Amino acid sequence: MASIVVDMTATTMALVAEKRNAKVKPSLIMVDNVDALADSQLVFRDTFNTDASIVAATGAAAVAVVGQTVDRLRINVSIDACVSLRDELKDVKFLGAASVLRSVAGVLTLDAGCHVTLGYDLE
Amino acid sequence: MLELKPMPEATVSPGVPKLLQEGYYVRFTDQWPLTLPHVKGKTFQVEKTNQVPYDITRVIPGGNYTDVDLSNATGGENIYPENTKTLYETILGFKPGNYLVHFYIPAGEYVHRLEQAGMVPNVASATLRYLGARKPEDSPYDDKRIFMYSVKDLEPLILRLLVDNGVLWEKMVLGLVVNKCYLKQITPTAEQLARAKKIDYYTELRW
Repeated sequence: MASIVVDMTATTMALVAEKRNAKVKPSLIMVDNVDALADSQLVFRDTFNTDASIVAATGAAAVAVVGQTVDRLRINVSIDACVSLRDELKDVKFLGAASVLRSVAGVLTLDAGCHVTLGYDLE
Repeated sequence: MLELKPMPEATVSPGVPKLLQEGYYVRFTDQWPLTLPHVKGKTFQVEKTNQVPYDITRVIPGGNYTDVDLSNATGGENIYPENTKTLYETILGFKPGNYLVHFYIPAGEYVHRLEQAGMVPNVASATLRYLGARKPEDSPYDDKRIFMYSVKDLEPLILRLLVDNGVLWEKMVLGLVVNKCYLKQITPTAEQLARAKKIDYYTELRW
């Protein structure tokens, strides 16, 4: 079990690097938006590299992709609020690197007063 | 040369080692081909062992498959011995995920098939993709139950990894422990022969 805290000093903050032989299993996400200047919309993004494969139904080749992204979780946190997720995360997994993006009203916006905590296991 | 050990019905104490140990005997059947004269029909005693863990990972989309060649051929994973006196006993387990694994040896020839015509694994079929396929729960990463035996110059053993429909992407992690066994040929007594582990050639798995 490990954890990390980041302040949203950039619109995208890295949380966990990709580990080739494991998935990242979040056990806790806490967002402290008390010191932030606006409501925050946070997206937790999975970024990973894929391998070449073949489409089973057609036999067509599929090329490897570097930096494939999938959004795994999206939450809105009001200004002056502090929320934590634990049980809601039991089916969320990251295949590769985990990062968090912050938006305000749909526009990517940094705010050092928005603090994100991630607790996770590698499995 | 390829075995799935089922869950035990009972446990014994003290436990029985899962892997071949120093002093154990192994016997290769007469079905091994003339092209593998260093083992065909011979009996050996294991002189020393060394266990080497290794993980193989693939990330591919749902509905797709990829082949993993365990041999030392170009593009293979190099999990075969290079020494004629070495036997690799490789155990294989899977981390959880939505995927299936088919076994082929050599390429294109299924290990697991039924006798009725057409009852062969086929990843393109919505039903036959499940025929002969192993799932991650059949051999968990932390309790590996698939045993593979390889010697120098054995034909390539291919694992076909299929991500089943229902997920966008899947990361498949294959956990291997290669039990390197250094062999000494013996002329076995009847007792040694009875105690020796019999290692079949893959053609004996298909009839």
